[in-house]
Amino acid sequence: MSKTTSIVDIIEAGISAESLRQRVIANNVANLETAGYRRLDVRFEELLAKALNSSGGVDLGEIECGTYQTKNTPVKSNGNDVSLEVEVGEMVKNTLRHKALIRVLQKKYQQIDLAINVK
Amino acid sequence: MEVNTGFSPIDIAVSGLRAGSKRMEVISSNVANARSTDNGNGEPYRRLEAVFKTDGDGLGGVILDEVAEDMSDFQRLLNPGHPDADEQGYVSMPNVKMPVEMMNLNVAARAYQANAAVLKRYQQMVETTLELLR
Repeated sequence: MSKTTSIVDIIEAGISAESLRQRVIANNVANLETAGYRRLDVRFEELLAKALNSSGGVDLGEIECGTYQTKNTPVKSNGNDVSLEVEVGEMVKNTLRHKALIRVLQKKYQQIDLAINVK
Repeated sequence: MEVNTGFSPIDIAVSGLRAGSKRMEVISSNVANARSTDNGNGEPYRRLEAVFKTDGDGLGGVILDEVAEDMSDFQRLLNPGHPDADEQGYVSMPNVKMPVEMMNLNVAARAYQANAAVLKRYQQMVETTLELLR
């Protein structure tokens, strides 16, 4: 994808990253007691910030939103580092980000609607 | 570049929740071992206490410092038939006091509730902000 300044495209990328993160958190919670499991997280905001800094627009093709294993997490005796509290906190944050993006998108569509229906 | 710092109240509340569950873990170990006369080193079980410290320069939440042993004296109980009894017939019992543990259990549960309440309130605050975008 080429450089885009369209807010709808950027919001779309954000929402798909949050959907992926929600799945990853659900996966972490499901593996709460799996021996040797290490929790995963989604890298997106850092990549977006990097793509944003290099030029005026955002090259969304440059952003490969993927999962990674988090480091420096305290590991339990069974080699598992998932903590229910952390996952709940991450899920709350993710939901709030998601809601914010949906609201902005809704606002953008309201503006478009206003432009179409102007009399 | 540091991003995602906007939700730090959530991270702090989560650190409080984790501290609360650690405290609960230590208390349950104390209660479970309240009558363990042998810890493997010829001593009865020593009561444990979770010690916490602030994470970072003050606004980073709370982090477990150490799980320290309570060095107060063991209780001595006359029970000559016990395999761990000494020559006088006394058995050293763990220095766990059940009323203290029950009180700490209440404190830990209330602290956990308080942190959960903070998290929930902050979530509601952000949602209030988002209502402005309607």
